[in-house]
Amino acid sequence: MKTLSKSEIQFLLLKLHSLTGIIPIGLFLVFHLGFNSLRTVGVQQYQFGIDLINNMPYLLWIEVLCIHIPILFHSFMGFYVAYQGKFNVFRYAYPRNWMYTLQRVTGGVVFLFLVYHIGTTLFPKMIEGKHLFEASPFLIGIMNEQMSTWSGRLIYLVGILSATFHFANGLWGFCISWGLLIGKDAQRNAGIAFMFVGLVLALWGVATMAAFALDPVSVEPVFSKGMSL
Amino acid sequence: MSQTVLIKIRRKDNPNAAPYWETFELPEKPFANVISCLQDIQKNPVNIGGVRVKPVVWDCNCLEEVCGSCTMVINGKVRQACAALIDPLEKPITLEPMSKFPAVRDLQVDRARMFKDLEQAHAWIDIDGTHDIGEGPAIDQETRHKAYELSQCMTCGCCLESCPQYTLDNNFLGPAVFSQARYFNMHPTGAMHKDKRLEPLMKEGGIANCGNAQNCAAVCPKHIPLTESIAEIGRQTTFHLIKKLFVE
Ligand code: HEM
Ligand code: HEM
Repeated sequence: MKTLSKSEIQFLLLKLHSLTGIIPIGLFLVFHLGFNSLRTVGVQQYQFGIDLINNMPYLLWIEVLCIHIPILFHSFMGFYVAYQGKFNVFRYAYPRNWMYTLQRVTGGVVFLFLVYHIGTTLFPKMIEGKHLFEASPFLIGIMNEQMSTWSGRLIYLVGILSATFHFANGLWGFCISWGLLIGKDAQRNAGIAFMFVGLVLALWGVATMAAFALDPVSVEPVFSKGMSL
Repeated sequence: MSQTVLIKIRRKDNPNAAPYWETFELPEKPFANVISCLQDIQKNPVNIGGVRVKPVVWDCNCLEEVCGSCTMVINGKVRQACAALIDPLEKPITLEPMSKFPAVRDLQVDRARMFKDLEQAHAWIDIDGTHDIGEGPAIDQETRHKAYELSQCMTCGCCLESCPQYTLDNNFLGPAVFSQARYFNMHPTGAMHKDKRLEPLMKEGGIANCGNAQNCAAVCPKHIPLTESIAEIGRQTTFHLIKKLFVE
């Protein structure tokens, strides 16, 4: 096999950046907001959802390989890509140029949000060793607390709106970069359709926040430590 | 009393000199355009302070918006000076050289990078060798129509000047080159060297560096569907990549 030049590797890394935005990160976002929205149905249903995930085999491997490493890679490449460009949206104030700019800004905002969000959920969960059925009461307690303050709500609102916009607009960029959307009208129509996708995701997230904020119920583990099924 | 127009020009005495602004006041003439004003300045290079200065340098050639050489930044937006009528422009008028190409002098820049990049992307159709290989296949009406649209590119640089991904010091090829690669790839004879055109676009500075800001198509004076070309090249390179990774 022929070895790749530095220049060809850069191309492949950019393609991988684009791909990781959809698979797995975009998929994760959809599932994550979807699972969390179970909270709007009821706290038991939500607990059941978290239990389901936290009792999955090889959970740590799945999380590290399919979520954490891709997000780190996408973020690292994202900052690299963002620094390569030069914003000119005030000179050329076209709608699409705004989207281009926002794509980069929201990427940075999502990164900051993730540091805070993972630092206040996954991280304490690992530190305090809350696994299996212990995890959901612990995490639900944390979310109740975060959604009880306006600063917490603001952080989540900004995080959710940024992530959903970034994903929706990213879906559009992805389809063009990989050649799925060619014609001018097709690009415009898909852009509108993807914004609806983003809107639905954002509503999901905001409804979840509202459920936590308006009705902070705490739960007990379904099974206690040491008990086996 | 006749009306006058103020023209503010961002000047530079040589490639390494510091830029400075100089304002000229000209009598307003009917149907004047930016080039005719620059010609008036050249005839009588006296600035608004009454000082006789070095005449302003600019590039131009065809004077009918088909050669691309008089491209400059007029009132903050890139376009051809010859097609910029004075009457509808907001006053005072500002003229700046394009910022994404090395400066030569005043409004003159060096667009050589564009031509080098076209060469890199094999943006031509190979001719026959020492012997005649016969007539090429006929091209259908629809393809010819699209090809005509793409053929109008005059390598003026508007798309690159407005592109946030294209900078003075990176090696991004930019929309004009992608569109030309598409143009020659859609020609039945040109398609025989399709891969030769796609390979250079699959490197650093290639198609993956496009950020889909779509300013290119918005400023293109020829209304070339550049964003469509970008997506089409995206598709061709995707297939080429799959072929390279999983088929060959
Ligand atoms: C309604 C809003 C949200 C809620 C209630 C929520 C809740 C949670 C909870 C409870 C965890 C810990 C999961 C566990 O360790 O088992 C978590 C992890 C995580 N969240 Fe969120 N989240 C929300 C929004 C978001 C958004 C918008 C993003 C996207 C940027 C996001 C990205 C993540 C990531 C990357 C993790 C770590 C994944 C892992 O467990 O390995 N979350 N979230
Ligand atoms: C919830 C997490 C994230 C998701 C779901 C996500 C998703 C996406 C998607 C789908 C794309 C489109 C790819 C393309 O245009 O081909 C994209 C592009 C981009 N992402 Fe993310 N991303 C996330 C986090 C981040 C972070 C943390 C950064 C860090 C700055 C970032 C920076 C970027 C940049 C700069 C682009 C534009 C790439 C380009 O247009 O060439 N993203 N993202």
